[in-house]
Amino acid sequence: MKARVLVTGMGGELGTRVAQLIEAREWATDIVGVDFVPPRRRLRRAEFRRIDPRDADRLSSFVADYAPQVVAHFGVYEPASRMTPASARERTDSCTAATMNAAASTGALEYVVIRSGLEVYGPPTGRVSVPDEDAVPAPTTPYGRSLLAVEAAAKGVALRCGIPVGALRYAPVVGSHVPSPLGRLLRLPVVPVSAVSDPPFSLLHPDDAAHAMVAAIERRLDGPCNIVGEGAATPWQAARLGGRVPLPVPPGLWRLVARATEVAGAALAPHVVDLLRHGCTGDASRARDALGLTRPTPTQDVLRELFDWADVVAIARAGEQAA
Amino acid sequence: MTLDVLDADRIARPETPWSALRRRVSGRYPIDPFGLDPQLADLCVPLFRAAVRVRVAGGEHVPSTGAAVIVSNRGFGIAEPAALGVAVQRASGRRLRVVGAPDLPFLGTATRRLGAISSSGPDVASALRAGHLVGIPLAPTWLRTGAGDAPVAVARALTLTPIVPAAVRAVGRLGSIVGAWEVTFGPMVTLPDPYDPNDPLAAARFTEAMRRAVGALLDGG
Repeated sequence: MKARVLVTGMGGELGTRVAQLIEAREWATDIVGVDFVPPRRRLRRAEFRRIDPRDADRLSSFVADYAPQVVAHFGVYEPASRMTPASARERTDSCTAATMNAAASTGALEYVVIRSGLEVYGPPTGRVSVPDEDAVPAPTTPYGRSLLAVEAAAKGVALRCGIPVGALRYAPVVGSHVPSPLGRLLRLPVVPVSAVSDPPFSLLHPDDAAHAMVAAIERRLDGPCNIVGEGAATPWQAARLGGRVPLPVPPGLWRLVARATEVAGAALAPHVVDLLRHGCTGDASRARDALGLTRPTPTQDVLRELFDWADVVAIARAGEQAA
Repeated sequence: MTLDVLDADRIARPETPWSALRRRVSGRYPIDPFGLDPQLADLCVPLFRAAVRVRVAGGEHVPSTGAAVIVSNRGFGIAEPAALGVAVQRASGRRLRVVGAPDLPFLGTATRRLGAISSSGPDVASALRAGHLVGIPLAPTWLRTGAGDAPVAVARALTLTPIVPAAVRAVGRLGSIVGAWEVTFGPMVTLPDPYDPNDPLAAARFTEAMRRAVGALLDGG
C-alpha cells in the first residue's frame, strides 16, 4: 500500500499527532496537512499549508491539485474549544464540503476517514445508554448535528466513488494539551453537576484517538466505529478526583450556570451540558475487533492526567539553571 | 491500588467503612459505562443477603465466567430480581446485571449504581459483549403462577450467548420482600437444530424456548 495522504485540521492537537504517526509509516509517500493554524509540533516529513477552511475556493483548488488517495478528516471543530460555536460550525461545514467534493472529483481517492463523536447519538433518554454503531443517531445539540452532517457528506463520497469510508465516533477527547470545553470546565474550582442524576460518561485519551485514526486508515475501516476509553466516571466523581467542589444544578438553571462559567473562562457548550446531565458513553467492541484497540486508556486515568497538568509551569532562568 | 482490584463482574469483600468513606470523598472508585459502582454495590451485598433469604438449587448451571443470560419469572414486585441476584452471588460469586433500570431521576441512578441496566436491546447486547451476566425477568404474572412472556425488545441480543433459565419462588408464608425465597437454576436453553444468530425467527424461537424452560422449572417445583 502506497498513498498520498491529506490531513485536514492538522493544526489541532489530534491532527498533529496523527500526522506524526503517519510520518513513521512507509506506506505514506506524501503527507500534506491544511488548517487555519500551524501544527502544534515539529513535523519532519509532512508539509503544512495554512488555509482557512472558510476560504472554500482556495481549499478546493489545493485539494484538487494534490489529488489525495487517503483523506484523514480532522477539520471538524468543536464549539467553544478554540472558537465560538457559530465559527466552529461554519469552518466544519466549509472544510468538509470543500475537501470531500474536491477529493472525490480527482478520481484518485481510495479511502476517507473522518472524525465524528458519540454526540451523534444524542442523550440516552430513549433508554439506550451505551449505544453501539447500530443505534439510530438522534443528536439534539448543534455539535451532534454538525458531526452527523459530516458523516452524511462522507457517506456521499463513499457512494459517489465506491470507496470505503470510516467514521470514528470519538468519546470526548480530553487531555492537558487538547483545547476542550469539557476539560476547561472540569478544571474550574467549582464544577457544575446535575442535581437529579449523576450519569456516567467516558473519555478518550488523545494518543488513543490518534492511533485509532491511523489503524482505521491501515485496515480500511468501513462505516462508523465508536472509539471510547475504558470504564467511565460521573461528573460528581470527576470533580472530586480533581479536588474540585461539585455544585449541584437543578434542571432549570443550566442557562444561568453557562453564563457564569463563560465569565469564569470556560464556555459551556450545549453538548457539554448534555454530557453533565445525561452522560455520554458508547460500546467500543467494534474498535476492539476491527481496529485492534484492545486496551484504551481508562477514563479515570484520562481525568487524572488532566488534573495533574500544572496551571503554570515555572521556567528557570539560564543563570538559575546553571547554579 | 484497590481501585484496580474492584471488578465489575465479581463481588468483592466490602472495604472497611473508613477506607470506603475516604475513597468516596476523593472520587477514587470505579464506575462502569452502564453506571455500576462496584464499591457501593459490594457495600450493599451484606444488607441484601440479610434482607432476602434465599435457598439455591442447581447453582452449578450458572456460568462462572463469560457472558450469559439468566431468564427468570417475576411476580409483580422487585423482590424476585433481588432474590435472583443474591442466588447468583451465592452460586458463582458474580454480579448480576438485572435488566429494567427505570428511566427516572434518583431511582434510575440508584438502581444503576447497584448494577441494573436499561431494558433496551442495544444495552443488553452491549452488556453481553462486555462479558457480563445479565438477568432478564420475564413479563410479570400477577398471580405468581407460571412464566410470563419474554421481552421482545431484547430477543435479538440473546442468540449469541448461553441462556440459563431460573425459577424464583417465595417459600415464606406471605412471600413478601423480606420473606424466604427459593431459586432453581436449570440447564442451558438450546434449540434442537442449527440456527442463524442473525435470524429474527431464531430469536423468536429462543424466547419461546426460554419461557418454556422457566415454566418447566416452576412446574417441577
